[in-house]
Amino acid sequence: MNKNRLTERKILVTGGGAGIGQECVSKCLSEGATVAVLDRKLDKLEKNLEKDVSINSTVLVEVDISVGEQVCRGVKQAAQELGGLDGVVNSAGIDLVSEFDDMNWDDWSKVLDVNLTGAIHVCQQALPYLRLNRSSSIVNIASGAGLVPIQNRVAYCASKAGLIMASKSLAMDLASSDIRVNAVCPGAVDTDLFRQNIRDESDIEQVKSRYAMNRLGEVSEIADVVIFLLSDEASLITGSALAVDGGRVFH
Amino acid sequence: MAGEFFIEFEQFVMKQRKVALVTGCANGIGRASALSLARSGMDLVLVDIEQEGLDVLRKNVIDLGSRSAVICGDCQDEHILDEVFEFAQRDFGAIDVLVNNLGRSAREHASSFLDSSPDTWSAVLDISLMTTLRVTHRAAPSMKRRGWGRIINMSSDTALIGDEGLADYAAAKSGLLGFTRVLARELGSYGITVNAICPGAIKTRAHDHLKPSILEKIKSTIPMNRVGEPEEVAGLVSFLSGDGASYITGQALAINGGRYML
Repeated sequence: MNKNRLTERKILVTGGGAGIGQECVSKCLSEGATVAVLDRKLDKLEKNLEKDVSINSTVLVEVDISVGEQVCRGVKQAAQELGGLDGVVNSAGIDLVSEFDDMNWDDWSKVLDVNLTGAIHVCQQALPYLRLNRSSSIVNIASGAGLVPIQNRVAYCASKAGLIMASKSLAMDLASSDIRVNAVCPGAVDTDLFRQNIRDESDIEQVKSRYAMNRLGEVSEIADVVIFLLSDEASLITGSALAVDGGRVFH
Repeated sequence: MAGEFFIEFEQFVMKQRKVALVTGCANGIGRASALSLARSGMDLVLVDIEQEGLDVLRKNVIDLGSRSAVICGDCQDEHILDEVFEFAQRDFGAIDVLVNNLGRSAREHASSFLDSSPDTWSAVLDISLMTTLRVTHRAAPSMKRRGWGRIINMSSDTALIGDEGLADYAAAKSGLLGFTRVLARELGSYGITVNAICPGAIKTRAHDHLKPSILEKIKSTIPMNRVGEPEEVAGLVSFLSGDGASYITGQALAINGGRYML
C-alpha cells in the first residue's frame, strides 16, 4: 500500500530502532518521506536498512530520550541533515510492570522521563523547525493504557495518560500555527516490548481475551494509522487520542 | 477461449473489488465519502431521497471507474430498504463497507428543549438513529458470514459537546456511540470493525444557511479557526474502510479541528 502520501516530507521518529517505531520508519520511507531516527539502540534498524537503498537518506542518531542534552543535540542533528522537519513521531517508550507496594521510585522516574518528558521535550526541540512549514504534524504513540488502566502498571498508565493530555494541550496551543498534534493509543501489539513481560502462551491468551477482536495487533496496523495522521489526509484531525486496539478501551 | 478467459478474469476482478453502501449520499459528507470510496477502488450502492443529486453523483462515480447501484428513496421506509438490499445482492453480491451517513437535525424546527415537541424528537431520532440500526441489521449478517466488514456510523461532536438547541439530535448521535460500541464487541471476532466518526462544523448545505455572525462564533470555538470540508471527513471514512484501519474498532473518532478533543 504505497501511495506516496509523504512525498518530500521530513519526519523525525524516536524509538525508530525497534517495534512500532521501526515499522513507522519503514512505512514513512515507502510513502516517500526522508527520515531521521533517534534511538538508544540502532543496530537492529541498521541491519534492516542495509537491505534497503533508502539507508542513504536515513539519518540515524544514537540518543537516550530521557537525557535532555542528548535530545537537544539529536533533534538539531536530525533537522540539519534532513534540511528541516515537518513531522515528528514519538515512539520511544518503556514499560514497567510492578505491584505498587514494591514499585521502585527510580523506575517510576525513568518511565515518566522517557514516555512523557522525553516525548514532549522532543516536540519542543522540533518546534522551531516545524513552524517553518505551511503545515506540520506530530504523532505521539501513547497507549490504550493511558485511557483505561491495566493492572500493575501505575507508572506506565500515568505516563501515557500524561502524554495524551500533553498532546491535546499542544494541539490547542499549536493549531493556529497549522501544526496538528495527535496521540495514537495502541492496544497489545506483538513487539519485543510486549513479549518482555509475557511468560507463556496462556499469558497471551489472557491478554487477547481483553480485546473484542480477540487477537494482538501487528506493528503495521499501528504504523498505518501513524502515516494517516502524518499525512494531509488527516488535515482536520488534531487533539485526538485515537485508540487502535481491536476493541478494549472503546474511547 | 480468449472470451472465456476474459469472463473469468472479470469475475476475479469483480470479487476483488469491495462494495460500499452509503446512505444519504446526494450531498455533503455522504457525497464526498462516496466519491472518496470510489477513488479507492470500491463499487457503490447509493441511496438518497434526492434524485438530482444522485444523478450527478452516479455520473461522477462512473467517471472514477466504479460501478454503482442507485436507489432514490427514503431509508426510513422498509420497502425502500428491501429494494436497496435486493439491488445490492443482484448487482454486487453483498455489502462489504457500510457508511451510515443519513441523519439530520430538526433544522428549521430546532429549538431549546423546553420549546420542542415530541413529534420533532421522534422524527430526528428516527432518521438519525433508528435508520442506522435498521440498515445495519440488514447489512451485517453477510459481513459476519464472510468474515470481513467495515461499519462506519456518522455521529457528531455534538454528541460530546451538547450544543444548545439540538437535544434530540445530540441524543440520537450519542445513541450511535453506544450502538457502535456494542456492535464492535458483538462482531469483533468476525473480522468486522465498527466505528463512529464525530465531525465538527463542516461546510455542508446546513452550514451554508448559517448567519455570518453565528459562523464567526462557531469558528472561534475551533482551535484551527476554520470549518472543515466534507472531503476531509471523507478521507477519514476512506481510511477506516481500508486495510490500514484493520485494528481500529469500537472507537469514536473526532474530526473537528480540535473543537472537542476526544
